[in-house]
Amino acid sequence: MAKDAEKSTWKDFIWNSRTREFCGRTGSSWGLILLFYLVFYIFLAGMFCLTMYVMLQTLDDYKPTWQDRLGTPGMMIRPRGKAMEISYNTTNTETWDMYIKTLDNFLSPYNNSLQAEKNEECTPDQYFVQADSGDVKNNPKRSCQFNRTFLEKCSGLDDHTYGYQAGKPCIIIKLNRVIGMLPGKDGQAPFVTCGAKRYKVGKDEWKEDSDKIGEVEYYPENGTFNLMYYPYYGKKAQVNYSQPLVAIKFLNITLNEDINIECRIISNNIPPGSVRDKFAGKVSFKLRINTKG
Amino acid sequence: MAYSQCFSVSLSHTNTHTHTYALSLSLSLSLSLSLSLPSLSVSLFLLSLSLSSFSLSLPSLSLFLLSLSLSLSLSLSLSLSLSLSLSLSLSVSVSLSFPPSLSTFQTEHKMSIEECCRKFNTDIVQGLTNAKAAEFLIRDGPNCLTPPPTTPEWIKFCRQLFGGFSILLWTGAILCFLAYAIQAATEDEPAGDNLYLGIVLSVVVVVTGCFSYFQEAKSSKIMESFKNMVPQQALVIREGEKMTINAEEVVAGDLVEVKGGDRIPADLRVVSAHGCKVDNSSLTGESEPQSRSPDCTHDNPLETRNVAFFSTNCVEGTARGIVVCTGDRTVMGRIATLTSGLESGKTPIAKEIEHFIHLITGVAVFLGITFFILAVCLGYTWLEAVIFLIGIIVANVPEGLLATVTVCLTLTAKRMAKKNCLVKNLEAVETLGSTSTICSDKTGTLTQNRMTVAHMWFDNQIHEADTTEDQSGASFDKTSASWAALARVAALCNRAVFKAGQDQLPILKRDTAGDASESALLKCIELSCGSVKQIREKNKKVAEIPFNSTNKYQLSVHETEDPNDNRYLLVMKGAPERILDRCTTIIIQGKEQPMDEEMKESFQNAYMELGGLGERVLGFCHLLMPEDQYPKGFAFDCDDVNFTTESLCFVGLMSMIDPPRAAVPDAVGKCRSAGIKVIMVTGDHPITAKAIAKGVGIISEGNETVEDIASRLNIPVSQVNPRDAKACVIHGTDLKELSQDQMDDILRNHTEIVFARTSPQQKLIIVEGCQRLGAIVAVTGDGVNDSPALKKADIGVAMGISGSDVSKQAADMILLDDNFASIVTGVEEGRLIFDNLKKSIAYTLTSNIPEITPFLLFIIVNIPLPLGTITILCIDLGTDMVPAISLAYEAAESDIMKRQPRNPTRDKLVNERLISIAYGQIGMIQALGGFFSYFVILAENGFLPSILVGIRLNWDDRACNDLEDSYGQQWTYEQRKIVEFTCHTAFFVSIVVVQWADVIVCKTRRNSVFQQGMKNKILIFGLFEETALAAFLSYTPGMDVALRMFPLKHRHTSTQTDIHLHKQIVIDIHLHKQTYTYTNR
Repeated sequence: MAKDAEKSTWKDFIWNSRTREFCGRTGSSWGLILLFYLVFYIFLAGMFCLTMYVMLQTLDDYKPTWQDRLGTPGMMIRPRGKAMEISYNTTNTETWDMYIKTLDNFLSPYNNSLQAEKNEECTPDQYFVQADSGDVKNNPKRSCQFNRTFLEKCSGLDDHTYGYQAGKPCIIIKLNRVIGMLPGKDGQAPFVTCGAKRYKVGKDEWKEDSDKIGEVEYYPENGTFNLMYYPYYGKKAQVNYSQPLVAIKFLNITLNEDINIECRIISNNIPPGSVRDKFAGKVSFKLRINTKG
Repeated sequence: MAYSQCFSVSLSHTNTHTHTYALSLSLSLSLSLSLSLPSLSVSLFLLSLSLSSFSLSLPSLSLFLLSLSLSLSLSLSLSLSLSLSLSLSLSVSVSLSFPPSLSTFQTEHKMSIEECCRKFNTDIVQGLTNAKAAEFLIRDGPNCLTPPPTTPEWIKFCRQLFGGFSILLWTGAILCFLAYAIQAATEDEPAGDNLYLGIVLSVVVVVTGCFSYFQEAKSSKIMESFKNMVPQQALVIREGEKMTINAEEVVAGDLVEVKGGDRIPADLRVVSAHGCKVDNSSLTGESEPQSRSPDCTHDNPLETRNVAFFSTNCVEGTARGIVVCTGDRTVMGRIATLTSGLESGKTPIAKEIEHFIHLITGVAVFLGITFFILAVCLGYTWLEAVIFLIGIIVANVPEGLLATVTVCLTLTAKRMAKKNCLVKNLEAVETLGSTSTICSDKTGTLTQNRMTVAHMWFDNQIHEADTTEDQSGASFDKTSASWAALARVAALCNRAVFKAGQDQLPILKRDTAGDASESALLKCIELSCGSVKQIREKNKKVAEIPFNSTNKYQLSVHETEDPNDNRYLLVMKGAPERILDRCTTIIIQGKEQPMDEEMKESFQNAYMELGGLGERVLGFCHLLMPEDQYPKGFAFDCDDVNFTTESLCFVGLMSMIDPPRAAVPDAVGKCRSAGIKVIMVTGDHPITAKAIAKGVGIISEGNETVEDIASRLNIPVSQVNPRDAKACVIHGTDLKELSQDQMDDILRNHTEIVFARTSPQQKLIIVEGCQRLGAIVAVTGDGVNDSPALKKADIGVAMGISGSDVSKQAADMILLDDNFASIVTGVEEGRLIFDNLKKSIAYTLTSNIPEITPFLLFIIVNIPLPLGTITILCIDLGTDMVPAISLAYEAAESDIMKRQPRNPTRDKLVNERLISIAYGQIGMIQALGGFFSYFVILAENGFLPSILVGIRLNWDDRACNDLEDSYGQQWTYEQRKIVEFTCHTAFFVSIVVVQWADVIVCKTRRNSVFQQGMKNKILIFGLFEETALAAFLSYTPGMDVALRMFPLKHRHTSTQTDIHLHKQIVIDIHLHKQTYTYTNR
């Protein structure tokens, strides 16, 4: 008896044919609720859009409001490898083929022909400042050429394998773009230097692979980022900006071993990044070149 | 029989509360309804099992899952076995509790004394031998009540840890650990969020559990202090020698002597008695002392004169009896065991919380499953989707609510304790508020439990005495000479005296030795005529005949005050009709007049009138004995009366009653207007009960019983339509014959009910009858006889001063001042906390939406996570706490004592309306506010909203350190994470800001904030505290490492003022609250 009653109340609750109620409410009641929520949410959405629109109006098109988190520009390498780990086997083409492809793709915009077409030659060793005159924007802004040939042995033009096949791989290093950044003062250009990275092997035990890195060559010479590529004026103003690169080539790195390498930017006005950020003003990666099948 | 019937009803009573479910969610809820949370965790556990078998290719994962599922199943089986053992112990105690009907148990009262002696191997003169006594003591055990099996402390603690709301949090914690385990098994560097969340959840539950455990331990400590620690002594005769032994060592067969003032040490078969009277009120509720004699006067052992019961009091006289039962086998012991066998149901607030958990689980599972399906459709892996599912379910758990609810209840309990209501069980705080029926005991609760002279009749006129506790009532004309004569008789013909050393106490508070009515007279005379002691000294007593039941009077002979007058004064008091028979004259205005028929008739009228008021009437007369017949030095012989006791002079009548407490009529009136039915249940006579009921307003003025109508219309009772009478007085013997339907009929159709002459079992039947009709019943009582009803009631209220230990143990709440009026304040507090809990919950739940939506959008549109776990915890356990608790201090919006008690089936603590307004409306506004600040932070740092959609994969990739923003700049992982955490902080701060508005919205349910005002100081403090905490959390150096919260720029903070715009909408809605239909949320 009680069970029956229970059952019917359940059915009644879902659809009560007597009162024509669905889930305890009549159609018109549901309708009113839905209408209320519809109007309410449309109103809210409108309100939100309005505030967002107003907020976007306050933004500058060419420069973000805040850049204080980018005080120390990050550094990055190409190829990136898997989680900053580049390892391959010289005898097995498949293991390094993807690195080659990445580099080819990455460097194709730097082909001399393209650069000559879009960008101009600038005076080296000085900032390429293109100031606006008051409210009149000096746009679009021009960019300097960074030719692929600057990378010499690492340009991939002579050696299509960028030295990977020979166990003398090229790694390309770039400094993250930050609008308006001037990376060196007194005409001193920043440069990249690579060395062994101290890494932890056990508790309070550190190790360095400095003796295993061997000889390293930098292209362009000394691994500098020429000042003429700075400052950067942003994607919108400086459409054809070519980010300067530095390539390093490991000439006789120890094979068949994990080697931790860290490259840093040396500059007289880039502050050292925070301890927690492993990529601010430096980049570290692991390199392992196997030779045995 | 009737009792066992009702018991089986109560046993078969199952939890059949229908779930009425939320509006927009009801469709999906049908899915989740069957899944209460424990079963949810079971299903998830199964899921994890299937997963582990599914992903055998990942050995480490399956290993992890296996160990996890093992621990899960362990904890589950543990909790299962716990509840199993609990229910087992319960069922055992129930089966034990069926007591054999009391009337068939004892037969000793029907035996002759010799038979009795033979049965117990004892001697009527010598008593037991010491050896026998020792043997019996070993056989029967000590003569004391076995204390009810106390729940072990660890079970109590576990109940706090795993009861009700905690289950929700535990499930959440377990799910978190599960999610973390999955992450740990699949990812190299798992995010610790789920682990932290799980730990925090567990800590919250444990801390709140400890808090409420210690809270309850505190009140049980106060309970302990009530226990009377003085060991009882008993005078027994063994081997012919009188000896005083510890009452615990009394054994069956012992010959025991008791005298006035003693507590009866065990159930006694009286063998001889001298003017012995016992007070059975703690057993039967009858307030008048009853005489004891060796003769069997009734088949029922409770009614017969020759049995005195364990733990009742001997008021006067002496008696000797054979112990027939000791310890738990006594009548009192059996009532006590009856009580411990009863199971009290869940408290209303526990039911509400259960309903709330169902709703929240419903919402959580609905959201979880929906987004699980969405996530799978969007191409996430199964494992990721499962983690999302768990994340969403856990995000719905309001972490801070358990603590908030506990603190709110504790605060109210403290407030109630200040107003003399000690709450034993925290959840009982609210129960009084939802009470719809109060079954009140009469003696001691409604009345002062002290006989007081209420009326006098002299000079052919009824005079009213002052019965109030503080002597604030009207006084009568004391100048009449008749009054002086009456006062003299009452003072002299009176054996009661004040106990020594109480001179500084007010007269009414002093303790007296003697019969209740004599004490009443004593106090009355002391109050109006000064020291009775002096009167007695001036009029030395010469002879005395004490009261006995055959002549029904008491007389004494005194010398007169006037030393020149050598006459003796004979004073007499007794049953008025007997006194009148002995009188030939009557004093009117100080002059003796012959007693004529007219006078006799007016005496009769006065006697009837006073008797009709339920008062005990005594007649007084005196006689100045002629000096010639009784010269000075006459030897009055009281055994063989050698002086006249006829043709006396009638002086007057005095009537006494146990008057109602002063605050009670007002309190009853308040209950009435609050829609609470007050039923009086008493062991007293119907007439007295009715008189008190009328006096305190339980039967309101102008309402008549069937009998009243019959006598007014002068027709037989059977011809009166019972529906015409709103009030009724039901005698215990009538109650016995009522069927369940008739009982329901009476309870339903009469608004004003008095039950008189009721036994403990009948009280239980009454309570169950009320509960059957859906009422939430509060029962008050002090005697052992009340304890089964106290236990059965939704809330049992025991008396702190007069209550017996058994009743206090059975009760949920104790009135420290024994005053019914305190119950009304309890009701008020209970109703207030229900309202305020609603507000607290609405407030706390609101922030759930701005906490969940970021995660949902994170999953669905792949934006960087707008609000992290740590910040969510900072809101739930940090900034939201004080404002939520401060709502418990909110004053009542209207006169809460003017509305009907809430209907437990309809008025839920949390209903779809509350969810709808908290989640659907205010929560949405808050979420939009939060997202706005999120977008502001990102946009001003270079990430415009247009590129955010779909950015998540790269954003959260540690190896991607050159992520490009809308302006072409490139970001390292850490750099953009700092921006993300700044977003979390901004989102957090904006939730805090909108919660300012929300607390003002939630502060009122019906009124506008302008009507209600901002008088809640704690709330204002809460607002400041919340803000200060938010500022502390975001600006303190080091918080970026500790909580990953980054300071907001001043400008960012000021953009939050835009949110005030949103806030305006909130207030807008709130102002129009009355025009919307949300009044009942």
